[in-house]
Amino acid sequence: MEQFIKISLDLLAGFGETLKIFFVTLAFSLPLGLVIAFGSMSKFKPLSALTRAFVWVIRGTPLMLQLIAVYYGPGLIFGQILLTSVSAVYITFSINYACYFSEIYRGGIESISKGQYEAGQVLGMTKTETFFKVILLQVIKRIIAPMSNEIITLVKDTSLARVVTYYELIYFAQRYIKNAGLLWPLFYTAVYYLVFTALLTFIFGWLEKKLDYFKA
Amino acid sequence: MNILEVKDLRKRFGDNEVLKGIDLSLKKGEVLSIIVSSGGGKTTLLRCLNFLEIANSGMITVNDKTVFAADEGEKPTIASEAQLSFGLVFQQFNLFPQYSVIENLMLAPKLRAKRNKSGMSSAEIEEKAKNLLATVGLSEKANEYPCRLSGGQQQRVAIARALMLSPDILCFDEPTSSLDPELTGEVLRVIRSLKDSERTMIIVTHEMEFARHVSDRIIFIADGVIEEEGTPDEVFGNPQSEKLKAFLSAGQ
Repeated sequence: MEQFIKISLDLLAGFGETLKIFFVTLAFSLPLGLVIAFGSMSKFKPLSALTRAFVWVIRGTPLMLQLIAVYYGPGLIFGQILLTSVSAVYITFSINYACYFSEIYRGGIESISKGQYEAGQVLGMTKTETFFKVILLQVIKRIIAPMSNEIITLVKDTSLARVVTYYELIYFAQRYIKNAGLLWPLFYTAVYYLVFTALLTFIFGWLEKKLDYFKA
Repeated sequence: MNILEVKDLRKRFGDNEVLKGIDLSLKKGEVLSIIVSSGGGKTTLLRCLNFLEIANSGMITVNDKTVFAADEGEKPTIASEAQLSFGLVFQQFNLFPQYSVIENLMLAPKLRAKRNKSGMSSAEIEEKAKNLLATVGLSEKANEYPCRLSGGQQQRVAIARALMLSPDILCFDEPTSSLDPELTGEVLRVIRSLKDSERTMIIVTHEMEFARHVSDRIIFIADGVIEEEGTPDEVFGNPQSEKLKAFLSAGQ
């Protein structure tokens, strides 16, 4: 029992590292995704083509490969590792998720009827005012479901960080196999993920209800 | 004095010339209905007046002030705040779903007051919104959200919203076309009451009976030009052109 509590607390510390990836990635990728979405919707063809090509590459290759490329790539080219594993993980995850989010945003923004923009315009509102005061909340309401999917995927994708020696929950648990011959802590990590995704599911459900007062 | 002058307005979409030189003028308090034979450009004229489409050439003057001027192939000059000379009521209402009825009315004026750091105060804006809601008979719905209103009620809110910025000319783009027949009456009654209060209006409509009763003047547009123009009695009672005769008899 004492051992169980000790291992639980140790894994909790590992899960803390996992959560760092989760929150840092969200903090950067949520706004960055909007910038990428606007880039891919730009009327300036070279910009939209370039943005879409970038999104294609990021979404078209495994996140694990991207992590390895960002962390070890500079070493192979310049002969030395430039980024710490922590920053390599934050950068790769943020860009990767920003690309997925950008497509969700784009879908959401493009699904809003032209009439909403036109109503803003004929009422003398600026484009920025119309976007932030009228369009954005309608987009948020429409993208909650696909966003919650993607964000829950992020919780579990964090386990990939260990390929570049970022010590997160799975890494912490695997040590018990090597050092103590204990297999159960690895499977026990599932509980941490499940509890956290349950919390996220609850939050998204609450948000969905909160925005239920209007139809869009 | 004419409140509105439109001279030789032309609009093309690709090779398709939808407006081939429209001239029209409107006196203050006058109600003009536009009936358009089927085909393109049904609402293009209204959209050009409201700058949702930018005409290729022509001139628009409101209260002797040129708000739009363009020569073929050149960049048009549009006066700042030209938008506010016109109000537009859409076929699909286009209320902002996340705002209550009264917030729909107040949003644009409040943003405008904030932008200009002058103009109406919040209290004045609210007062005006309440008055306009009373005008369209929806005072008791002030705090409802658009999804809880019928189509007719939504369109009446849209009319009140368009009046918040006191446009010189209020335009209606087929205001009853997406309403069930039993709901058109309440919207038409509101428009009629606006006529009684000397509101200058341009209405694109299919409701021939209504156009006949509410309008001071009617123009009939076919193939991008004004084919015929006159009082309701002239246009409906004694149509001159073959196209108008064909259009009116097809509707019987």
